[in-house]
Amino acid sequence: MFSRGFWVIVKREVKRFMFLYKQTLLPSVISSGLYIIVFGAAMGSRIGEIKGVEYIHFIIPGLVMMSVINPAYQNSSSSIMQAKFLRFIEDILITPLSGLEISLSYIIGGTVRGVVNGALVLLLGYFLTGLQIDNWLLTFVYLFAVAWAFAGAGVIVGIYAKSWDSIMVITNFFFMPLIFLGGVFYSIEMLPEFWRNFSMVNPLYWMINGLRYATLGIAETSHELSLGISIIFAIFFSTLASFMFSKGYRIKT
Amino acid sequence: MKPALEVKNLRKVYEGGLEALKGINLSIPQGSFYGLLGPNGAGKTTTIGIITGLVNITGGSASVLGFDSVTEFRQARKLIGLSPQELNFDVFFSIGELLELQAGYYGLSNKEAKERTTIMLEQFGLSEKRNSRARELSGGMKRRVQIAKALVHDPKIVILDEPTAGVDIELRHMLWNYLRKINEEGKTILLTTHYIEEAEQLCETVSIINDGKIIATDSPDKLTQAHGMSGLEITLTSEVADLTLDPWTYNNIDGKIHVNMNHPEKEMAKVINQILEQGGGIENVQIYKSSLEDVFLKLTGKSLHEKDEKFETQEALLNV
Repeated sequence: MFSRGFWVIVKREVKRFMFLYKQTLLPSVISSGLYIIVFGAAMGSRIGEIKGVEYIHFIIPGLVMMSVINPAYQNSSSSIMQAKFLRFIEDILITPLSGLEISLSYIIGGTVRGVVNGALVLLLGYFLTGLQIDNWLLTFVYLFAVAWAFAGAGVIVGIYAKSWDSIMVITNFFFMPLIFLGGVFYSIEMLPEFWRNFSMVNPLYWMINGLRYATLGIAETSHELSLGISIIFAIFFSTLASFMFSKGYRIKT
Repeated sequence: MKPALEVKNLRKVYEGGLEALKGINLSIPQGSFYGLLGPNGAGKTTTIGIITGLVNITGGSASVLGFDSVTEFRQARKLIGLSPQELNFDVFFSIGELLELQAGYYGLSNKEAKERTTIMLEQFGLSEKRNSRARELSGGMKRRVQIAKALVHDPKIVILDEPTAGVDIELRHMLWNYLRKINEEGKTILLTTHYIEEAEQLCETVSIINDGKIIATDSPDKLTQAHGMSGLEITLTSEVADLTLDPWTYNNIDGKIHVNMNHPEKEMAKVINQILEQGGGIENVQIYKSSLEDVFLKLTGKSLHEKDEKFETQEALLNV
């Protein structure tokens, strides 16, 4: 279905983040390691179990999602922003590749980075806490769908952004609050009713909830709905991104 | 034979209302060396942008060997290589890697991409720089990489936007020879330039574009004949009363006779004979010819050298 050139961009995207591994892979391992030690080991013993699971294990799916969402988004948005800024995006726009192919290749590049980061944090969870994964296939499906969704969001922001600031604004003002309020470190059953209802409209809550079901086998709410929401977001963002790329919005004059 | 590049009634209105192209027509034959001359903002880069897919079309059409640049963009773009005026390099890769990537984007296999890269690096004298990054190279080397990038997938048609901007004379001549050679080998070349000498030296046909319209198209020689002035300037040793120079007319400017004609070098002997026959003595004869530059100035009212030359690439931080 896709031409060779399409896979060359994917390869380029993966090589780029591998080259920058100190900025693209190590940070989520280090920050997740710190969260596990500080929150899980130091405070976890006082919190006890949630739904029959040790606290230190309870927080890992949320940390994994954090390490999937931010890097997947950062990869495609920064890569496109940089190509726009230094104008080497023109080298790709003049090739026989369609807007759909170009946008999907950036999305796949971001997805690979998101999945790799997520997998590294799961591995860290295994080494630091002995975490065992309940459902490998479903875990991979979540990593993939969520990475795909946010890599798609990254393409949209990368196309739209006129400065590096806009890219960081989305991370700091949207993703981070939504991740933290999505129940990474607590069960929403611990929240007062208002904030519990608030969590229900936070899509990131559902994604974390779903991954917790896949890795630990526990779910606070419907895990089927979680899967549905993750896939819908993946389709929505990638379709919008591809549409924008095909129209040449803010890329072609 | 289909033209290599054909543009029909091409129009472009940018967001905000600037009308950059007001219906231009171009037909560039296969194998030709074609120049597009125009002052800043005339529409050269917009035209190239529409042909290569960097600029959305407003009206009219552009085609490459018969393939429409919008509806058959895959076939059309595969045939073209573009060297943009502003240097633009993928900062994460070495020269060799970025040429291989560029070839790959066009669908060449790994092996072909490597082979073509090796050939390009050899032809441009960059073999030793294969593993260097673009930012480590001199300005002239960067320009060579930029042109190599346009040629790495071996396109039939090469579009060069100001290929010798900011390079020294030695490299300019080297590039001219190279372009002549690949043109002789069959590649069609479309060049924009603001070095008149470059157009005169290289191009068989030149179109002058001004304010979004093509105002003249012809060979550099014919353009200077049609729009410029050429002729003889003769200084006589003594005045000749009632001098007639059949079939020409002449002006006497400060005691020098100016005879306008298209081919002064051919007609010189006849003119001299007529003066001598009428008893005139000749002290000095000079041929004058206007250059393409004069023609350009006359047609557009603008000089080609109003340009602000800035060719440094911006070095951005490696942001993630």
